[in-house]
Amino acid sequence: MTTLTATHSPSRWWQSRVLRRFLSHRLALLGLLMITLLTLACVVGPYLLPYDSLYIDLRARFAPPFASDHYLGTDPLGRDIAARLFMAGRISLLVGFFAMVLSIFVGTLVGVIAGYRGGWISAVLMRTVDGFLSYPTIFLLLALAAALKPSPVMITIIIAVTSWMEVARIVEAEVRSLKEREFVLAGRMLGLGRSHIMFREILPNAMGPIIVAATLTVARAILLEAYISFLGFGIQPPLPSWGNMLNGAQQYLASAPWLAIIPGIAITIAVSSFNFIGDGLRDALDVRNDTV
Amino acid sequence: MTKFNKTSAGFSRRDALRVLGAGGAAGLFAPHLLGKPAFAQTPPAAPTGRIVVGLSQEPTVFNPLMPHIEVDDGVNFSIFDALFRISVDGVIGPNLASEVPSQDNGGISEDGLNWRIRLRDDVTWHDGTPFTAEDVKYTLELIVNPDFRAWRTTGHDLVRDITVVSPTEITWRMEEPFAPYLSFLTETFMVPKHILEAEANPNEAAFNQAPVGTGAFKWGQRLAGDRLELVANADYFGEGPYVEELIFKYIPDMTVLYAQFKSGDIDLVGNAYITPDNYQEAKDLADRVVTVEPKGSVESIYLNQELPVFKDQAVREALYLAMDRTAIIDALYYGVPTPAETFMPPQSYYYNPDLPKQEFNLDRARQILDEAGWVPGADGIREKDGLRLSFNNSTTVGNHLREQTQQFLQQTFAEIGAEMKIENLPPAVMWGDFWGQSQFDSAMVGITYLVGGDPDVTYRFHTDAIAAKGGSGSNNAQYSNSEVDALLVEGSRTFDPEKRREIYFKVQEIIRHDLPFLPLFAYTNLYGRKAGIEGFEVNTNTRTESWHAAAWYWA
Amino acid sequence: MPAFLLKRFAQSIVLLVIVSIIGFVVLNLIPGGPLAQFALDPGMTEADKARLAEQLGLNRPLLVQYFDWAWRLLQGDWGISFRDGNPVLTVIGRHLFATFLLMGSSTVIAIAIGTWIGIRGATHRYSTFDYAATVGAMVALSIPTFWFGLIGIYVFSLKLGWLPAGNMYSIGDGSVLDYLHHLIMPSVVLALVHIAVWSRYMRTATLDAISQEFVKTARAKGVTERRVLMKHVVGNALLPMITLAGVQLPSILTGALVTETVFTWPGMGRLFLDSLGYSDYPVVMGLLMFSAILTIAGNLVADIVVALVDPRIRLA
Repeated sequence: MTTLTATHSPSRWWQSRVLRRFLSHRLALLGLLMITLLTLACVVGPYLLPYDSLYIDLRARFAPPFASDHYLGTDPLGRDIAARLFMAGRISLLVGFFAMVLSIFVGTLVGVIAGYRGGWISAVLMRTVDGFLSYPTIFLLLALAAALKPSPVMITIIIAVTSWMEVARIVEAEVRSLKEREFVLAGRMLGLGRSHIMFREILPNAMGPIIVAATLTVARAILLEAYISFLGFGIQPPLPSWGNMLNGAQQYLASAPWLAIIPGIAITIAVSSFNFIGDGLRDALDVRNDTV
Repeated sequence: MTKFNKTSAGFSRRDALRVLGAGGAAGLFAPHLLGKPAFAQTPPAAPTGRIVVGLSQEPTVFNPLMPHIEVDDGVNFSIFDALFRISVDGVIGPNLASEVPSQDNGGISEDGLNWRIRLRDDVTWHDGTPFTAEDVKYTLELIVNPDFRAWRTTGHDLVRDITVVSPTEITWRMEEPFAPYLSFLTETFMVPKHILEAEANPNEAAFNQAPVGTGAFKWGQRLAGDRLELVANADYFGEGPYVEELIFKYIPDMTVLYAQFKSGDIDLVGNAYITPDNYQEAKDLADRVVTVEPKGSVESIYLNQELPVFKDQAVREALYLAMDRTAIIDALYYGVPTPAETFMPPQSYYYNPDLPKQEFNLDRARQILDEAGWVPGADGIREKDGLRLSFNNSTTVGNHLREQTQQFLQQTFAEIGAEMKIENLPPAVMWGDFWGQSQFDSAMVGITYLVGGDPDVTYRFHTDAIAAKGGSGSNNAQYSNSEVDALLVEGSRTFDPEKRREIYFKVQEIIRHDLPFLPLFAYTNLYGRKAGIEGFEVNTNTRTESWHAAAWYWA
Repeated sequence: MPAFLLKRFAQSIVLLVIVSIIGFVVLNLIPGGPLAQFALDPGMTEADKARLAEQLGLNRPLLVQYFDWAWRLLQGDWGISFRDGNPVLTVIGRHLFATFLLMGSSTVIAIAIGTWIGIRGATHRYSTFDYAATVGAMVALSIPTFWFGLIGIYVFSLKLGWLPAGNMYSIGDGSVLDYLHHLIMPSVVLALVHIAVWSRYMRTATLDAISQEFVKTARAKGVTERRVLMKHVVGNALLPMITLAGVQLPSILTGALVTETVFTWPGMGRLFLDSLGYSDYPVVMGLLMFSAILTIAGNLVADIVVALVDPRIRLA
C-alpha cells in the first residue's frame, strides 16, 4: 500500500512496466515505425529526388504518377509532387509538433493551476476552458485565420489556441485527484511552496495522461492544419503543406485525381501513426491493466 | 397597351403610330441602341418560357442605390431602368429619358452646368403608378441624403437645384462641368418616390426585399441562399420581355456551376462565367454556344510608387521585361485572355492601339538594371546604394490561377536578380487598409477602371486621389504625375468625344511609359448559353451579362 | 434536484457571456470590415467608404459596440446582415435545415453502425472482427473528412456515376427521393469519424458493463445472453452516451462545415465561410454565438436527462 506514494523508486519501476506494455502493443509499434519512416522520408527525401520542389516547369504540367521520373507525377505548375510531398511533410509535421508543444504548455499550466488551487480561480479558468470548447473548432480557427497574416508561425499559434483546452481539462482532472494524495500532504507539512508542490511534485505524476494527450494533440493538429490549408486559409503557396496541396485538387479531380489522392494518403499515415502510438501509450499507462 | 387611364383618342392614335412607325426617327428608340442586325429568328409575340441564369455569388442587395456588387446589377438591370442606356458600342441612348441631352440639342448648356432632361410619358411602375419627373428628383436627392447608405455619390454630389418643370421634364444645375455624369446616369436606376418616401428609414425599407421598378421584369419571389425568380412585366414600355420567367440560381462552386451548365440544369452561365481550364471542352459542347468576349477589366501587378525600390523607373521597366506573359496566358489561362498594355479596355472608343508592346526579354531586363547601377549581390539579388531589389506581392488567398501566376513570375524575376516574396492574404485583410491605404508592396489585382464606359479615370490616377495621403479616390498605387493630373481634369470637363479621345490617348501613353502598374492581360470571359437562346449580347460597358435580359428569347 | 438544475443553468449563462466575449474579440481582430467587398469597385471612392463606415457605426469604440450588440442580442435582435439587409436570425434560419439534415442523418448512421460494431467487438473480444474494428476505427479517426469526401466524389460520382457530386437537390427535381440521393454521400462521409468514436466508446462501455456484478447475477438467473446484453448492458451504457452526444456536438458542426464545403451543401458551414469572405460581421458573430449556444444547450439538456434518469444523481 505504501508503494502507492509517488516517490522516485516506485516510479522507475512503474515506468519500465509501462514500457514493456507499450512495446507489446503491436499497433503502437506499427505507428512508431510508420512515423519514423515518414519523418525520415521528409527529411532526407528531397535530397534524393531528382527534382526540386519549387521548380516550375509549365511544359510538364499534370504528369501522371509512375509514368516518368516524376515518380508521383506533377502538379498544375509542373512541379514534382514527390518532392513537394516531402517538403510539405516537413512543414505539416513541424506545425503539428510545435502546435502540440504550445498547447501542452498552455493547457498544462492552466490545468495545474486550476486543479491545485481550486476555488474561484479554478472556476474562472475552467469556465473559460468550457467557453472555448463550446465553439466548433473550425469556426474559431477560420475566424482567427481570416484576421491574421497566414505565416507558418501564425498558423501554429492559431491551432494551439484551439487545442489547449482538452489538455487543460485532462490535466485539471488529474491534478484534482492527485491533490488529495499523501505525498502532497506530506509536502505541505514540510513547508514546500505552492509552485514547488504544483510543478515539482504533482506534475511529474500527471505526466502519463499528458503524454497521451500530447500524441493525440499532434495528430489533431496535423488534421487541423490540413483543414484550414484546404480551405485556403492556412499555409500559403509557394510553401507546400499537405493541406494546401489538396486545396487546388478538387477542381482537377476528374482529370488529375492523383493530386488529391497522394497528399491525403500521407496525412492519413501520419495522423494514424500518432493515433496508434497514443492509443498504445494510453493502454500502457492505464492503471486498470495493472495485474498487481 | 398602356396603363394610363387617359384614354383620349389622341393617345391611342399616337400609340398606333408608334407601332406602325417601324422604328424610324420618330420612334423613341435610337436604332443604334439595339445596334445589331435583324435576328435570324423573331421573338415571340407574348412572353413565353423560362431562362435560368447560374451565378457563383448570390445577389442579395435589391435596392440599386445601396452598395452592391456585380451580380446584384444583373437583377437591377432587369427590374429597374435608368435615364439612359449604354449600347454595346459605347453609345449612350435614351431609356427612361426621351432623348439624350447634349450641348448640341441644348439639353446641356455650353458651360456644361445646366442640364435639362425630357422623360417618356408612357412608363409605369410595376404597381401601376405612373413614372414621373418627381421620381427622378426623389432618386437623385436620396443618393446624396447623408442618412442614406448610398453606393456612389460621385457626380450626384455636384447636382443642385433639381426642378420638376412638368411630369416629363426636369432640370438641374451642376456645380462644375462633369462630363462622365452622363455615363453615371446609365447606371443610376430610378426608384419610386411614392413607395420610398413613406418609409421612415429607407435603409431598411421593405422595398429593399421586394423592389418595385419600371423594368422588363417584376419581382417574383426569392428563396434566399438558393434562387431568385422574376416574372415578365407585360406592360413594359421598351423592347420585350420575351420570356415569362427569369430565374437567377445561386451555385457557389465554379466546378458545379460548369457541371450544371453541361447537364442543362442552367440555361445561361452568369458571373463568374466559365473558368479557362474548361474552355477546351466547353467550346465543343453540343447544343451550347460558348463565346469568348472581353470583359473590360485588366489584370495587373500594382506597384506601390512610394516603395523605394519602385521609385526607380529602371526597376519597373526591367520587371515588365521579365514577365513571360505568353506562357502565363497560354499555359495557365489556356489562351483565353488577351495581352494588355493599358488600363483602357480594347473595345473602348478611347483605347490607344499604338502603345509599345511588351516583350519578354531577360537579357534586356538585366542590361537595364546593370546600367541603372543595380549590382547582383552575393545571393544573386541585386542591390543599389544598400537597397535590395526585394519586395512582396500579395493577392487574395484561394485564387488558384493568381497563385500559380505569382509563383511563375517569382521564378522569372529571380532570373534577373529581383526577389519577389509572395504574401497572400484573406480577402478581409487584403481589401481593408492594406489595399485601401496603400500598405502593400505590390499586389496582383484585376481592376475595372471605367464606369459606364466613360474614360474618366481621375479617381484612379490623380494625385488628389491618393487615399494614403489624405485624398479621396482609389489611387492605390500612389501614382503622381502632374501632366497626367492636368489631362485628367481637362478630360472630365470636356464633352466632345473626339477631343476627349485625344486627351485620354495621351494619358495612356504617359502611364504606359511610367508603368505604375504592370499590365498582364485584359480579361475575357467565357460566356455560355444553351443553343436556343437568342438576343443575348455581351456589353462590356456594364458589369453583368444580364444587362438586357429583356431582349432574350427562346428560338 | 432543482438546486442542481439551477446551478447548471446559472453556469450555462456565465458560459454564454464568456463565449460572447471570446467571439467578439476574435471577430474584431478581423480587419477590412464589410466594406472590403467594394474595394475594387470602380466609382466607389475612399470617401464613399468612409461615409458608409460611419453610417454603419463601425467607427465607435469596441466596448461600445460590444455592449450595444450584447444588449440587442438579449432582446432577440441579432443584428442585420451587412450583405443582405435581412435580420441575422432569418439568414441563419434559412441554412439551418440543410445543416440539421446533414448532422441528423450522419448522427443516426454513426450511432447505428458504431453501436453495432462496438457491441459486437466487445462480445467477441480479441476476435478478428474486434481487431479489424479497432484498427479501422483509429484509421477512420485519422482520415481527413474532406479528403474522404473528395475520394468519395471521385469514386462514386465521377467514376461510377451512382451518386451526385454535390448540392442538396437538383433543380427541377426536389422530390424526397432526390433529396435522399444527394444526402447519402455527405452524411456517410461526415459520419465516418463519429462511427469510429461511437464504436470505440460502445466497446469500452459494453466491456465495462459486462464485467459488472448485475450482469453476472442476470446470467446466473438464467436470462438469455441476448436479453442480458440488450437490457442491462446497453441500458447502462446509454447514460454516458447521452453525455457523449452532447460533447460531440461542436465536433459534428466542425465536420459539417468541411463536408458542406466539399459537397457545396447550403448549410450553416457554407454560410460561415461566405460571410467570412464578405466580412459580414453580424452573420459571422451570429453563427459563432449560435453554434456555441447549441453546444451549451446540448450539454445542459444532456446533463438534465442524465440527472433525470440516473437515480444516483436524482436523489442526491
